[in-house]
Amino acid sequence: MSRAAGKPGLRVVKGGELPLSGESLLALLEAVLAKGVPFRFRAKGFSMSPLIKDGDILIVEPRGGKRLHPGDTIAFINPMNGKPVVHRIIRLDRGFVVVKGDNVAETDGLIPEGDVLGIVASVERRGKKVRFGLGAEGRLIAFFSSCGLFEKLLSAAKRVFRPATRRRAR
Amino acid sequence: MNSEIKMDALYVPSPDVVAREIEGELIIVPITSGIGDLEDELFTLNETGRDIWDKLDGKRSPRAIAAELAAEYSAVPGEIEEDVRGLLEELLKRRIVVESGR
Repeated sequence: MSRAAGKPGLRVVKGGELPLSGESLLALLEAVLAKGVPFRFRAKGFSMSPLIKDGDILIVEPRGGKRLHPGDTIAFINPMNGKPVVHRIIRLDRGFVVVKGDNVAETDGLIPEGDVLGIVASVERRGKKVRFGLGAEGRLIAFFSSCGLFEKLLSAAKRVFRPATRRRAR
Repeated sequence: MNSEIKMDALYVPSPDVVAREIEGELIIVPITSGIGDLEDELFTLNETGRDIWDKLDGKRSPRAIAAELAAEYSAVPGEIEEDVRGLLEELLKRRIVVESGR
């Protein structure tokens, strides 16, 4: 190559070390799912805590022709900012889904089913699978979440279990 | 795996990679074991690498790509051929490109 252009080079990057904005993550997520294969990436944020925690590794499968159900944890495009979000469906509503983070009070509003990118199939935390919340119990969580009770149950559970955990640690 | 480049063969991006331009940089995600894994190794190409990548359309051989680039960069064709060969060997070794029709 010319001196100005420089030699062509390939750089190898450890995926987790690549700083990606929400828009960039969305572009890769869409591109991989469009190939019909699942996408594995690291979750950011606390809105689905404690079932999905900041830093957990998620596998999102392409939706394909699958029907959506309340309780499914999905990746979708946030209509407010165009960024990808992973939250739980609490209700279906004529071509739309009502989505909400387990750990937040407000819903994300009505999301067109067409904006659903994929369904979370797996959560890994420190190398181990976290299954709770992705099966049939997801419907129960969605039910409590839609009544505004899931956060209260979580808070109560934290009050009960935290002191016990601390006692055990002493 | 034989990663020797034939300068008159045709090469294309592998169907087992997804490449997207992200914030001015080409990011290549390999599909490994049927999953696009953002936690695994990813690849990026610099600007001149990108120029070669853009020409990997299965219609132009490495030699033809080198000739085009030599004209674009006003550079010595032999030197460019070696650069194209070097990058393609690296891409072939990592299964990011495949020989067309194989």
